[in-house]
Amino acid sequence: MPSVLAEPSLLPAFSKALDLSWISKMQVNQPAVLRRAQQIQARRTVKKEWQAAWLLKAVTFIDLTTLSGDDTSSNIQRLCYKAKYPIREDLLKTLNMHDKGLTTAAVCVYPARVCDAVRALKAAGCTIPVASVATGFPAGQTHLKTRLEEIRLAVEDGATEIDVVINRTLVLTGQWEALYDEIRQFRKACGEAHLKTILATGELGSLTNVYKASMIAMMAGSDFIKTSTGKETVNATFPVAIVMLRAIRDFFWKTGNKVGFKPAGGIRSAKDSLAWLSLVKEELGDEWLTPDLFRIGASTLLSDIERQVCNNPLSWDKLTSVFLRKKRKIPYWAMRTREKTSSDLPHCTQTSAFIQANPHLKWADWTRERECA
Amino acid sequence: MAATRTKPSAREIFTTLEYGPVPESHACALAWLDTQDRHLGHYVNGKWLKPEHRNSVPCQDPITGERLAICLQAQAEDVVAAVEAAGTAFENWSGLPGASRAQHLLRLAKMIQKHQRLLWTLESLVTGRAVREVRDGDVPLAQQLLQYHAVQAYTQEEVLAGWEPMGVIGLILSPTFSFLEMMWRICPALAVGCTVVVLVPPASPTPLLLAQLAGELGSFPGILNVISGPASLGPVLASQPGVQKVTFCGAIEEGRALRRTLAGKGAELGLALGAESLLMLTEAADVDSAVEGVVDAAWSDRSAGGLRLLIQESVWDETMRRLQERMARLRGGRGLDGAVDMGARGAAAHDLAQRYVREARSQGAQVFQAGAVPSDSPFFPPTLVSDLPPASPCTQAEVPWPVVVASPFRTAKEALAVANGTPRGASASVWSERLGQALELGYGLRVGTVWINAHGLRNAEVPTGGCKESGSSWSGGPDGLYEYLRPSGTPARLSYFSENLNYGTFGLAVPSTLPAGPEIGPSWVGQSPGARATLLWALATALERREAALTSRLERHGTELKDAKVEVELSARQLRAWGARAQAQGHVLQVAGLKGPVLRLREPLGVLAIVCPDEWPLLAFVSLLAAALAHGNTVVLVPSGACPIPALELCQDMAALLPAGLVNVVTGDRDHLTRCLALHQDVQALWYFGSAQGSQFVEWASAGNLKPVWVNRGCPWAWDQEAKGAGRELGLRAARTKALWLPMGD
Repeated sequence: MPSVLAEPSLLPAFSKALDLSWISKMQVNQPAVLRRAQQIQARRTVKKEWQAAWLLKAVTFIDLTTLSGDDTSSNIQRLCYKAKYPIREDLLKTLNMHDKGLTTAAVCVYPARVCDAVRALKAAGCTIPVASVATGFPAGQTHLKTRLEEIRLAVEDGATEIDVVINRTLVLTGQWEALYDEIRQFRKACGEAHLKTILATGELGSLTNVYKASMIAMMAGSDFIKTSTGKETVNATFPVAIVMLRAIRDFFWKTGNKVGFKPAGGIRSAKDSLAWLSLVKEELGDEWLTPDLFRIGASTLLSDIERQVCNNPLSWDKLTSVFLRKKRKIPYWAMRTREKTSSDLPHCTQTSAFIQANPHLKWADWTRERECA
Repeated sequence: MAATRTKPSAREIFTTLEYGPVPESHACALAWLDTQDRHLGHYVNGKWLKPEHRNSVPCQDPITGERLAICLQAQAEDVVAAVEAAGTAFENWSGLPGASRAQHLLRLAKMIQKHQRLLWTLESLVTGRAVREVRDGDVPLAQQLLQYHAVQAYTQEEVLAGWEPMGVIGLILSPTFSFLEMMWRICPALAVGCTVVVLVPPASPTPLLLAQLAGELGSFPGILNVISGPASLGPVLASQPGVQKVTFCGAIEEGRALRRTLAGKGAELGLALGAESLLMLTEAADVDSAVEGVVDAAWSDRSAGGLRLLIQESVWDETMRRLQERMARLRGGRGLDGAVDMGARGAAAHDLAQRYVREARSQGAQVFQAGAVPSDSPFFPPTLVSDLPPASPCTQAEVPWPVVVASPFRTAKEALAVANGTPRGASASVWSERLGQALELGYGLRVGTVWINAHGLRNAEVPTGGCKESGSSWSGGPDGLYEYLRPSGTPARLSYFSENLNYGTFGLAVPSTLPAGPEIGPSWVGQSPGARATLLWALATALERREAALTSRLERHGTELKDAKVEVELSARQLRAWGARAQAQGHVLQVAGLKGPVLRLREPLGVLAIVCPDEWPLLAFVSLLAAALAHGNTVVLVPSGACPIPALELCQDMAALLPAGLVNVVTGDRDHLTRCLALHQDVQALWYFGSAQGSQFVEWASAGNLKPVWVNRGCPWAWDQEAKGAGRELGLRAARTKALWLPMGD
């Protein structure tokens, strides 16, 4: 087992901030967390203006990511352009948001593509940070020496944020001090760059381990803790997120340091992104809803958000579909999204219209009528 | 509220990232009200009943005060009509094969599904509860209840052989209980073949809508009748001839009053009282999850009552900090908003909470309130009360919605003592990651439902009920079915009310010969059922050894020799039969939607007092005693007055065999002893077999600590018949159920 203890020369010289008593007693109750995760999605929704604003806000949290074997400078260039102009200009105008300089939070690539990304963003004239995955992403099963070197090279190439994966072996075997020391060295290797620690929660075995690993990662000086690489079978899930967010809050209460949170992997729909926003808002509060403390790692999410912003009544109201509403005389409140037509409106509108039209019918007939329809 | 402010633009929201209103349209609820011309009557026999010349009350939106409809108040004649309709329907309905009843219940479930949107918007509109809770919790559960009970109806002939439906059931609901509470009770009643008359408080249209949905199925119009009227009609409904059982859901004091009023009246009374719950948070708990449990229990519109929160001292500070932090994130507002946690419950609930908080503060408590809740009535913010002095009245009073009263404890043992010290016993949850500790507390709590590391889970298959002042009426699961069944061949219940009975002087004719309470030893709860069985069998052997002496005693009393022999023989057999039955108690339920088991436990009642009948002096005594002991109760017995000697002879054996204090036999004036036992606060249940007047007194006096009572109403029993002496009814009454939820996962 390649452990940090085998290479004593690499041990950090600076003092330790490790306190194992913070994690020793902790037990997470999985069924209770699952229930909370279920509830949190049903308890908060946002509509209309709020939805549009929240979706645009979600855009500013995105680490626009491409992590595939066939990445070349051309698609990195496109990615960077998309990061700079994430939402169509005309849509932003209808929402009066065109002057906010809306961009994604960062772009996230493999170490070898950092140069391409930095170049492309410089060409586009913007200061969006470039994040690079490192340390033997996604499995982390390489020698510590090469993992550290990987970080240094990425930073040299101009990455200002480094997403490192932790060594899952250390978690599963309970070597918390060794894990701490490793992340400590990652931290040192990053220098000025931000350190985002990927816990790969799908491979940690239990929620209690997730909590403990989160705590260790924060004690070792991570700027962010991140759920997963996107390459595991189980990626960012709400139960895991709840545990990590609670760990972040506990760490904040103990030390006064705010650590960021980054869910990644499997977040594809705009609706999901809203749920993630409200999850962070509920568990940590508004002060965590800034790109400094919250990121969403995603590759396809952005296009769905753009589509949903376009579908929002606020946008299409002014764009294309005004005539549609007038023609069909559907009350404004009944129109939720553009797809809905009168036939799949909530049946209440039909019923009241129907009752008004047929005052002689009894309620029973009316019900039958509706069933037939 | 956001609605009253000018609407912020997307640009502003982008900076503040606040929540906006998510109004749920209630147009369909209004459309339904329009079909009744905004004028609601009663739903009886499959038709709307709108009699002339009745008082009416407005049904208002509790938040805006907008008048939604006018509701007629029932009078006695309307109640009579409803009971008559139910009585007529009962003849058809109870005669149906179970499979047909199952079919009908399933059709109703379909009907509810079809109209679910109407149901949840109407309920939320009228009660002010958060629509999310009604939509995601109540309505699916209502359907699930119907489906579960349809299955029970289907298997009734097979599983519930030897039982028959009671007849017309009266159900009285008080305003704080939602339509779901009605579903919990009408489903088992309808499934087993009873028909129901529901008395709902004025201005509650949802039960009326449900009755209409049931009525529109067409086939059996009179099985569910709903009338709305004031609480004072409760006794009128209960004392209608033909009403066999009355179930009351409401406040504890109202239940107590009803118990007194109905003493000696025909109908059996089942009480489901109060809504307070309890949460026990140990130092071994996942505190954040437990805090969510508190939210589920008190601040999520799931339960109608408040919460008593016991926190272990070592995690007190941490828990309070997390609780306060969490409270700040709760959102209150109009119930029909899809993103609020708490709606409003009307002015009455608001005033109740207000009064409690004011009193607690005056008694020296710390009150913490937080959350984004509109400040005007009827909204009430989530409230956390702590540092209540232990002796102050508020610590004993029932905690109202949405208040949580927190108090610390040092050890698990102390927590158990505090929790069991409250007069109520509906539900509780235990939060601990240590399995041993959690089970110890779960088994030790004297309540009807215990959740381990969860709160407020409900399922149609799991019996729900309570003990102590929460009343002993059960719903759901097998226990819910037995509430509406009686052993086949039992005569219909008629009123045996006697005007002349003076409750104040009953049993006082003889000067007191007994100290206030008999010496009561520790119960043998700790003994395994196997050990109980062994002792009962040993007792049977001892009884057989005394056969000659007992026979001659009975003979001297006037029994024929042949009968006396049979009686002694049967007595020994009863002891053995109950000994054998002590083994098989409780079982495991597997519940849909829950990973992990739910244990249905059968626990002893505690101190069970039994006044034995005069007939069959030995057999009745032994049957009652054996059933009580087999279920682990401590027993106080008053033997037959006419012939106590055989019972006393058996006592000599019991003194040698059983632990001291387990069985206490007292002799003396029966009326006087009955009075002592019925009024005794430490007697947890009472069975009375004696005169009609005595029965009436027992029913009246049981209102004191709301102990479950079982009286023979002055009718002699045939103890030598299997159904009576060793019947399931005896076993059902000798223990109480507890549902222990054990969610699992890692």
